[in-house]
Amino acid sequence: MKGFTLWFTGLPCSGKSALAKGAEEVLLERGMKVEVLDGDVVRTNLSKGLGFSKEDRDTNIRRIGFVCHLLTRNDVVAIGAAISPYRQIRDENRTLIGRFVEVYCKCPIEVLKKRDVKGMYLKAERGEIKNFTGVSDPYEEPLKPEVIVETDKETVEQSVDKIIRTLELMGYIPPEEREEYTKEEEKEIKERLRALGYI
Amino acid sequence: MVLFKRKSKRRVCVVGLDGVPYELLLKLTTEGLMPATAEIIEGGHLRRMKVTLPEISSVSWTSFMTGTNPGTHGIFGFVDLKPNSYHIRFPSFKDLKAPTIWDKLGKRGKRCIVINQPATYPASPINGVLIAGFVAIELEKAIAPASYLPRLRRLGYQIDIDTLRARQDHDFLFQELDRTLEARHRVVDYLWEEDWDYFQLVVTGTDRLQHFVWEGIEDEDHPYHQPIIKYYREVDRLLGELYGRFSRATDGEGFFLLSDHGFTAIKQEVYLNSWLREEGYLKFKVPNPSSLEDIKEGTVAFALDPNRIYLNRRGRFPRGILGEGELSALREELRRKLEGLQHQGEPVVERVFLGEELYSGPWVDMGPDLVILSRYGYDMKGSVKEREVFGRTGLQGMHTWDNAFFFSKEEIEGGALHITDLSEKIIGLFD
Repeated sequence: MKGFTLWFTGLPCSGKSALAKGAEEVLLERGMKVEVLDGDVVRTNLSKGLGFSKEDRDTNIRRIGFVCHLLTRNDVVAIGAAISPYRQIRDENRTLIGRFVEVYCKCPIEVLKKRDVKGMYLKAERGEIKNFTGVSDPYEEPLKPEVIVETDKETVEQSVDKIIRTLELMGYIPPEEREEYTKEEEKEIKERLRALGYI
Repeated sequence: MVLFKRKSKRRVCVVGLDGVPYELLLKLTTEGLMPATAEIIEGGHLRRMKVTLPEISSVSWTSFMTGTNPGTHGIFGFVDLKPNSYHIRFPSFKDLKAPTIWDKLGKRGKRCIVINQPATYPASPINGVLIAGFVAIELEKAIAPASYLPRLRRLGYQIDIDTLRARQDHDFLFQELDRTLEARHRVVDYLWEEDWDYFQLVVTGTDRLQHFVWEGIEDEDHPYHQPIIKYYREVDRLLGELYGRFSRATDGEGFFLLSDHGFTAIKQEVYLNSWLREEGYLKFKVPNPSSLEDIKEGTVAFALDPNRIYLNRRGRFPRGILGEGELSALREELRRKLEGLQHQGEPVVERVFLGEELYSGPWVDMGPDLVILSRYGYDMKGSVKEREVFGRTGLQGMHTWDNAFFFSKEEIEGGALHITDLSEKIIGLFD
């Protein structure tokens, strides 16, 4: 099976890492080789030392994009999950990689502020964190992402399902093999096995 | 005039009595409770037989019908896990990865009739007729070819008893057992008249009643002792009829009886996931997990029904943490601890097998890392909902692996008999 890159973009706390993990689990289940490059993790190794100026942010996203490109051409599913605020750099990665699926994690900033357990939005508003995307640094929404997940309205499972269905429809992954049994049949089998103490 | 003894072409008839232990068959036949079966046995050789582990019908019957172990046929239990996942799935006949007796005979032009064979749902076409047994649900999907469906309906064929109700209501259990056996008998009579080379029937009511009222078998004063004996007498009558017909049409050779596992009384159920949790090998994200999907990072091992232990390997499971280098020591550690497990001072485990000690073939890696063979009376369970290691439910009987039985007219040479040995011997009769 050919590789591709699944690129999650969105404001801090918009659900990129959680959805990347959810998508990873499904793709692994489907028998694919998967590698996740999470922005927070990448900044501790591949992009260690880079800051949050526009130049450093661009370098970080280009590096992640380059690794995704290498993985993709070796038939791995690369999952990038980083704020990646600038449209131009995301599009550069799209051009470099080719087999590129952009997922926009959309969520109103008021919800993100409530969701923010580390209090980063508050600190940014107080000026304690500089260059904070969405507060003191810009975020450029994707114009034509392949998937938009509205993480304030959807559960993680629903969003992951939407992403996976898009990948199926676009032919990046084969449709899920249908289980032999319907949900009703499974329920009945379960009850019968339970009655005899087999489960 | 031995030369003329065979009256017609070679035929084989196999009757399975699901879950009937060797000792029970011996007792019922020697005490005169199954006189026709006693007569059959007197004319041949009854042997004790071991089966594959786990000792449950879906695995045992598949081992019988393919003559292979789960590492080759790919069925390790009634439930399994989806790849790279903790999601439970129910393997079906489509998951079978080895040819069956009737596939092989069909290739040789032999016509097979197979009635109520567990682990063959949904039924797929064979050279003959296949009626799938447990866990078959819809009769439409349990019969191949479908052209037999109207006739089976007219004969009132019923795949199985209503186990859910029967578990609670034992009067109903015996009504259901009788009704199902009678309908099966009618279908046997109907299909017997067809042209066939291989005829097989499996009686599964024996297993059902042993699960629910095993105590009634052992205790003659038990309120259900007489209904149980009556049921075995009905089974005996069916066996006698079949053997009578078979020996009138043949020289009698090629008649086989077998069970797919033994049975014994439950002393305690043993909840393996509770034990793993207590010992710190298994962690859940929530205090009251509902399934293995609630497994948390840091889990080392978990159990699947009935007695399978899986190590939470990296690359095999989504939250796997164990690398190749850690497996060997851990398996030994678990084996040692489990073999030392006791209930009120009594050892619970006979032996813990490593997967590769039991299984061989291309699908060994799909199987468990460890399989626990319990001592008689200690029924292993994989439930994640139990909080204690030991407990009891309403079930009275449990499966055993080393006291299934096999009967053949001809003496089978060799040492200990195993369920995987049978199909080759049966097919060999057609040479």
